[in-house]
Amino acid sequence: MNRQRMNYAVVRHLILKDWYLNRGVILGSIPVGLGALAIVLTGKPVAFMLCIILLCIVIVGVGAQLAFVTTINERKEQTLAFVMSLPVSWREYTAAKILANLIIFLIPWLPLTVGALGLLLLPGATHGLVPFTAIMALEMLITTSLIVAAGIITESQAWTTAGIFFSSLGINLGGYVFAHLPGIAKYMWGKRVYWSSTAWIILICELLTVPLLLGVTFFVQSRKTDFL
Amino acid sequence: MNDVCIRMEGVSKHYPHFFLDSICLELREGEVLGFIGANGAGKSTTIRILMGLVRQDTGSVQVLGHPMPAEQIAAKLDIGFVSEDMRLYGAATLAWHMNFVASMYPRWDQAYADKLLRRFDLKPQQKIKGLSHGQRVKAALLLALARQPRLLILDEPTTGLDPVARREVLAELMSVLTDEGRTIFFSSHNTLEVEQISDHVAFIDRGRLIALDEKESLLERWRRVRLVVPPSTALPLLPGIVEVAGTERLPVLTTSQFDPDVVSLCQNRGVTVQAVDSMTLEEIFVANVQSRRELQPA
Amino acid sequence: MLDTIRHLCILSIFIMHTGASRIVLSQTGGPLYQQIVNQLKAKIAVGEWVAGEEIPSIRQLAADLRVSVITVKRAYLELEHAGLIVTQHGKGSFVAADVAPGPEIFEQEMVGHLEEAARLGTTMGMSEREIVSRLRQALDETEDARFIPKSSKESL
Repeated sequence: MNRQRMNYAVVRHLILKDWYLNRGVILGSIPVGLGALAIVLTGKPVAFMLCIILLCIVIVGVGAQLAFVTTINERKEQTLAFVMSLPVSWREYTAAKILANLIIFLIPWLPLTVGALGLLLLPGATHGLVPFTAIMALEMLITTSLIVAAGIITESQAWTTAGIFFSSLGINLGGYVFAHLPGIAKYMWGKRVYWSSTAWIILICELLTVPLLLGVTFFVQSRKTDFL
Repeated sequence: MNDVCIRMEGVSKHYPHFFLDSICLELREGEVLGFIGANGAGKSTTIRILMGLVRQDTGSVQVLGHPMPAEQIAAKLDIGFVSEDMRLYGAATLAWHMNFVASMYPRWDQAYADKLLRRFDLKPQQKIKGLSHGQRVKAALLLALARQPRLLILDEPTTGLDPVARREVLAELMSVLTDEGRTIFFSSHNTLEVEQISDHVAFIDRGRLIALDEKESLLERWRRVRLVVPPSTALPLLPGIVEVAGTERLPVLTTSQFDPDVVSLCQNRGVTVQAVDSMTLEEIFVANVQSRRELQPA
Repeated sequence: MLDTIRHLCILSIFIMHTGASRIVLSQTGGPLYQQIVNQLKAKIAVGEWVAGEEIPSIRQLAADLRVSVITVKRAYLELEHAGLIVTQHGKGSFVAADVAPGPEIFEQEMVGHLEEAARLGTTMGMSEREIVSRLRQALDETEDARFIPKSSKESL
């Protein structure tokens, strides 16, 4: 197959389209997330746990919903034929879906992550939780990428739902495992921010997983022969 | 001679339960080709291969000079595609769709789009999910036409439309053709409409192209001949007989190679020609399919 | 009052829609190209189109009638062979200069049909009287087909 150059203008339009169609859910999640963060400010220890749980639900929920709707619904609602009738090939379509999900997901994820980290850095808060929180936040980014990858590659409701299920499980398991790793547990409840080597390794692995997942997605898509 | 707009040579595609077998067809600029076939015969697969949405296993496809699916983006800039199983985004308005498509097609003609809105009686601020099926089809067609495509590829554009809506759609498609550079490739179940507006006709059955011809010559050479055969007279051997029906004394022959000489040939043998009926495109299609299936039962 | 307005609206819409060609094709009227040939002949016969007048181009007529270009081309070719129109490449199509309006246009066709009927009758071995009586039968059938209402039968 010839090396065709990607039509970036079209990719931009496709991303804007997905933003337009999903803006309600995304914009609605930000106040909910901020509200969850605000609960922590009440100072009660149980509030902290509640906040974490709520944040997880909001972010994972939004990420999963976005990934699901943008990838599965195109075929379910039969709009895929309409999109593919435009001057796009599988390249633009896949790139647009990946980028749309990443970028649009970052819209709630970034402020909420920064907000959570900011709260933790307030005087009197448990600064030691910063590395752990950062790791968990990236974990959610990975989860969303995984669901997006599953949605694009399998285009199957069943498989993608399974992906969502196992990802959520993965976050909980991951959180449990990370929290009990010696490199993390020792400094988690401390009063200062300490990035142990364990924490660094985990962070770097997470940061590499995202492009890896997305690269695999792109590669698998390039091998497909039927797009409708 | 006009440029070749579509050329398919030896195109095949294997699926677990279906095989599209060596499709060869050619369509020149300015012409209309009507594609007739039963459900599952391979119309949609052929059209998807034309659009570069499905990659053929063998054979070459050239659309507007671009090999497909390799150069599908370049080709699609000049193509308007409407498919019967295609849907627009229900939560968005028609106006949003128009802006969306216009942003990707430099030749989008807003004045023409507005004219079509009036002609099709569509309101741009209406959400797609609030439209009836006929309105949705017209909306999709508007989006395809307003981008001034050189080639229109339509997969059953009028299926499910009421007769009035169908007339409006056909009228619009035909008015597009006053520009000699425009070409239309469409598939339809409605043989009457194919008969009316097509220059060329292709029949497809069970993955194979069983006929590809100019419409007028198809209509000219197919006839149903009703004979009265006196007892102990043999039926004359006429060319191109596809079916012999009726009774021994009153046979009805369906022939694909009718010639006026046939009448005198029969009369010289003492066989009376009671009537020579022309056949509608639908009758020709069915006769064609039936005779093929008898020769090659699945 | 409202009724009149409504009727005027319907009438104006009707006129708008029939457009330039005002040729009407029917689904059950036989081969489309033949219908076009007959109707164009009739236009020339009644003088709607006069000798030398420009007629719609093949493409334009095809679009107006929603019929394939090749069908109209075929009709125009037949009319050209009959000497009724001329098509000049690049200039358009015109009614032939030496065409006179009137039923003579159908003269050739009628003569052709009569000769064919005579030939078929003779082939079937009919006598002259039989052939003539068949012609009378055909005339009766065309009259029946014209559906004369009972009340006006007396005036005939």
